[in-house]
Amino acid sequence: MKQHLTFWMRHLNKLRWLSLVTVFSMLIIIPVLGLYQTYVAAHAYDLLTPGEKRLYDTVEFFTGPVLNDPENDLDAIKGTTWSGTFFGLKLSDPLAVLGQTAAGFEVYWPFILTGLIPILLTVILGRFFCGWICPATFLYELNTNLGAWIHKAGIPIGQRHFDRRIKYLVLIVGLVLSALTGSVLVAAIYPPAIIGREIYYAIALGGFGAGAVFFVLTLLFDLLVSRRGFCRYLCPGGALYSLLGRYRLLRIKREVTQCNDCAKCNAICEFELDPMKDGFGQECNNCTACIAICPTDALLFNIDYKDVPYQGPGHLGHKYRENQLESLNKEVQQIYEA
Amino acid sequence: MKRRKFLQQITYGTAIAAAGSLPYGIAWMLAPGSKWHFGTHLKPPGALADDQAFNEACIGCGLCGEVCPPRCIKFSRREGGGEVNTPYINPEEKGCILCGKCMEVCPTEALTEIAREKIDMGIAQIDRTACYPWVDKGICGACAVICPLGENAIGFDFANIYRPVIKEGCVGCGLCVEVCPHPSLPIRIVKRGSGTVTEHVI
Repeated sequence: MKQHLTFWMRHLNKLRWLSLVTVFSMLIIIPVLGLYQTYVAAHAYDLLTPGEKRLYDTVEFFTGPVLNDPENDLDAIKGTTWSGTFFGLKLSDPLAVLGQTAAGFEVYWPFILTGLIPILLTVILGRFFCGWICPATFLYELNTNLGAWIHKAGIPIGQRHFDRRIKYLVLIVGLVLSALTGSVLVAAIYPPAIIGREIYYAIALGGFGAGAVFFVLTLLFDLLVSRRGFCRYLCPGGALYSLLGRYRLLRIKREVTQCNDCAKCNAICEFELDPMKDGFGQECNNCTACIAICPTDALLFNIDYKDVPYQGPGHLGHKYRENQLESLNKEVQQIYEA
Repeated sequence: MKRRKFLQQITYGTAIAAAGSLPYGIAWMLAPGSKWHFGTHLKPPGALADDQAFNEACIGCGLCGEVCPPRCIKFSRREGGGEVNTPYINPEEKGCILCGKCMEVCPTEALTEIAREKIDMGIAQIDRTACYPWVDKGICGACAVICPLGENAIGFDFANIYRPVIKEGCVGCGLCVEVCPHPSLPIRIVKRGSGTVTEHVI
């Protein structure tokens, strides 16, 4: 049983990539379906340009067998990860709820309730949004890979480290500035919101907005200054999820009897955490990259509300054996002296 | 020694505050505020009457634009300061058809669901020195034909049955502006307070 479980956990990282790709492609598909709806609603196929006709035919080919009334049926899935409707269920990002409440300085319950399901999931699963859903994570991780290639080619890339607590400050500053200026400022710097919005602008309205420039700047920051720097040090959403998921129930735990102290988990961890020394903390996003790379299956999911404190060096590593030898020697010496 | 420590603390505090507000500063600079726009910028139907309250309520998710069947809802993308990413309708490009989908889908109270007749995006105003029938340059009536609210919103002058006259029922959807054939658009949507319904100013 345990062997099966380990096998599946090792492959969760692939499932995560599937999830990221699905979310990202949905962000592209939804505006295209919206365009199709527009053309259907206009009832003027003959007046469409050849390109629009091609889009109409393609979407009709795929959705035609499923839908009776594309003009209204396709309204079922709309929006982005920032806020959207899913078969009548309105869902919003917890940061949107918090930012809007701060900006408007009043509690509007219908909107706060749309953030309830994401908040509950975050409390249980921790910062899973960052690792499994966030469309910006998809691009940021590809950017990290690009950085690795650039590094291999001999060009130096940024490896600076800052204080991880800066992002909590960014969150607080954002909420205060939102309250002062009266506009939801966190929406302008929160990468998943920017990505969803800009893809929609580019497909449905033509041309990018200011957010695209900001996102390119964050990509450059990640590449030239600090790997995954925006998520680690600046993202206000990440800060909020870290706080919400502080006492999450699902966490990764190191099996000290299996660990050989190879530190591959520390190298792969995008958030600069320390899995080899049980240093997960509230910022772990359960992305399972460390589980996938662990050569001895020492990292597994566990259900607990807090992390295990440092359990000492892994039992398969050199250090543990040296320690054992040392203590054995001491015992022998003690016996000898006695 | 004490003074040096105090200065050091102030420097650190400023540096930390600068680091915290840096992303907002960059985002703010990328979308500079503009005092005026090209063309008319109306808020979508059901929008909160106060512009400041609307900016506070809108989270910039773009859902109203996504569900809009004629795609008339656009967004202030590169300009607007506090207005960035909030929706607007420019009736000179595309008018609203008053379907109400945007009010339905908006997660916040920025667009609240109200009856079709209660929508207040503005009111149409006709420049009687330019409109073709009003200057006897032909017969038109395009605005009256397209109007989704019909008799309550637009009618014809008693003396000449082709001269359009705006009535109190107009909600400012802007379809008339979209279809107006005159190149200088003698029909425009203005704020209800500054609109002319019975007396004519221009």
